[in-house]
Amino acid sequence: MLCDDCKKKPASIYYKDVSGGQIKELRLCEDCARKKGLLNDKKLSPVEVLQKMLKTTSHDDEKIICPVCFLSLAEFKKIGRFGCSNCLSVFEPYIKTLIKEVQESEKHIGRKAKSGGRRAIEVFKLREELRRALEKEAYEDAGQIRDKLKTLGVENV
Amino acid sequence: MFDNIKWLISPEFRQQCEESEIIVSTRLRVARNIEGIPFEIKMKQTDAEKLVQVVKSATEMNLKGKYLLLQKVKGLERESLFESHLISSAIVRKEQPTGVFISEKGNITIMVNEEDHLRIQGLSCGLNLTNLASEVYEVEEILGQELGYAFNENYGFITSCPTNLGTGLRASVLFHLPGLVYTNEIDKILKSTLNLGMTVRGLYGEGSEIKGNLFQISNQHTLGFKEDELIEKINKFARMLIDVEKKARDVIMSRARNELEDKIYRSMAILCSARVISSDEVLNLLSAVRLGIGLGMIKDIDVNVLNEIMLVTRPGNIQLFYGEIFEEQERDVKRAEYIRSKLTKKNSN
Repeated sequence: MLCDDCKKKPASIYYKDVSGGQIKELRLCEDCARKKGLLNDKKLSPVEVLQKMLKTTSHDDEKIICPVCFLSLAEFKKIGRFGCSNCLSVFEPYIKTLIKEVQESEKHIGRKAKSGGRRAIEVFKLREELRRALEKEAYEDAGQIRDKLKTLGVENV
Repeated sequence: MFDNIKWLISPEFRQQCEESEIIVSTRLRVARNIEGIPFEIKMKQTDAEKLVQVVKSATEMNLKGKYLLLQKVKGLERESLFESHLISSAIVRKEQPTGVFISEKGNITIMVNEEDHLRIQGLSCGLNLTNLASEVYEVEEILGQELGYAFNENYGFITSCPTNLGTGLRASVLFHLPGLVYTNEIDKILKSTLNLGMTVRGLYGEGSEIKGNLFQISNQHTLGFKEDELIEKINKFARMLIDVEKKARDVIMSRARNELEDKIYRSMAILCSARVISSDEVLNLLSAVRLGIGLGMIKDIDVNVLNEIMLVTRPGNIQLFYGEIFEEQERDVKRAEYIRSKLTKKNSN
């Protein structure tokens, strides 16, 4: 028996609607039943969508490599994780659809990063320099680094 | 060390929260990464050491609280931090240096070197997303200026996994829904959450079992919306869920009042008299007592006391509470002893 709707594919779903006081019977194929929202498919979670999307690979994936962390697109597709903040812009042309499918969106409209002095990063660098200066017994350099640290507001140099 | 979770049983946390008997707690986390430091899969030992140190100095210079290097924290204490929802199972398993910052008030924690460099999270009792968000984002902004977050104009905050791109925001509400479970309506409700872009997990997040009629519901997507909109959406959903749960309870009360009362009072009696009890049994019995409070049957116990019991009776926490290592059987005895002391006091509040 063919589908009551498209009249092309064989009907595999029998549907009985008893709403509105009338009994309506339909024999539908899977596609038409889905179109009518009669099939309650389990929606995939973003992680499941990601796993599915990562399976689409191409021979060129090996050649597309992030110049900062050296992660290749092929490796990204194996693990599903970026190696550094630069990977996204390198892989972007190839994973646009993937992101759109996973996130059901393709544009960030939320809060933005505010730029700042990155003081903590600077302090870390200076502390490393200080350690090296002290190892080499370069006390004059060490003094200068301590002063820099103090201007950055670090009390326990 | 038990100090780290004391806040959960401190007066500040035990504020009276609206609908706290249906909504146990609210959690919100944002994932952030620091520009210039490799992500998890490319991170070397020295990168991890640097990460843990820079975040340590950024927190020391700006925030009040304590910063723990997780490798220096003992196994049992780590387990307790996990059971208290302060750290995840993923960070516990890591071998590289990792850290956790716990704010003075205890409601904000920052996991350092989990899947992302930073997971800034806020935890509160009841439904409290709006206030929690403003506290979390205050910390997020301060640290952003100190550290410089990885950001992309199109895709927002860059995260290790594409499923967190954009806002990096996950808002979760822990619901107690015995009414919907007993009326067998829960599956229908949970299916509808998926269509609303939300997901359901157990008490301890991803992959954890549903126990004690506790359901953790959170957003699935992180890209393409404003943070405030998401919070409003979850607030609305939570209010809807409170409503259907109350209706389900009315149905049970009208159809099987005696059986329900019996279940609630028996559960209370077991908690007050048991001499040996497992942590999972506690969760199930607490659920019935919690329902009893919601239905007005049990009047002399505060929901916060149940929250406290739920937290302290976890396997790691109960040992820390008594300051001793116990074998499983001994733990079950101590757990029962602790619960009796909490519930049989004259003024259990």
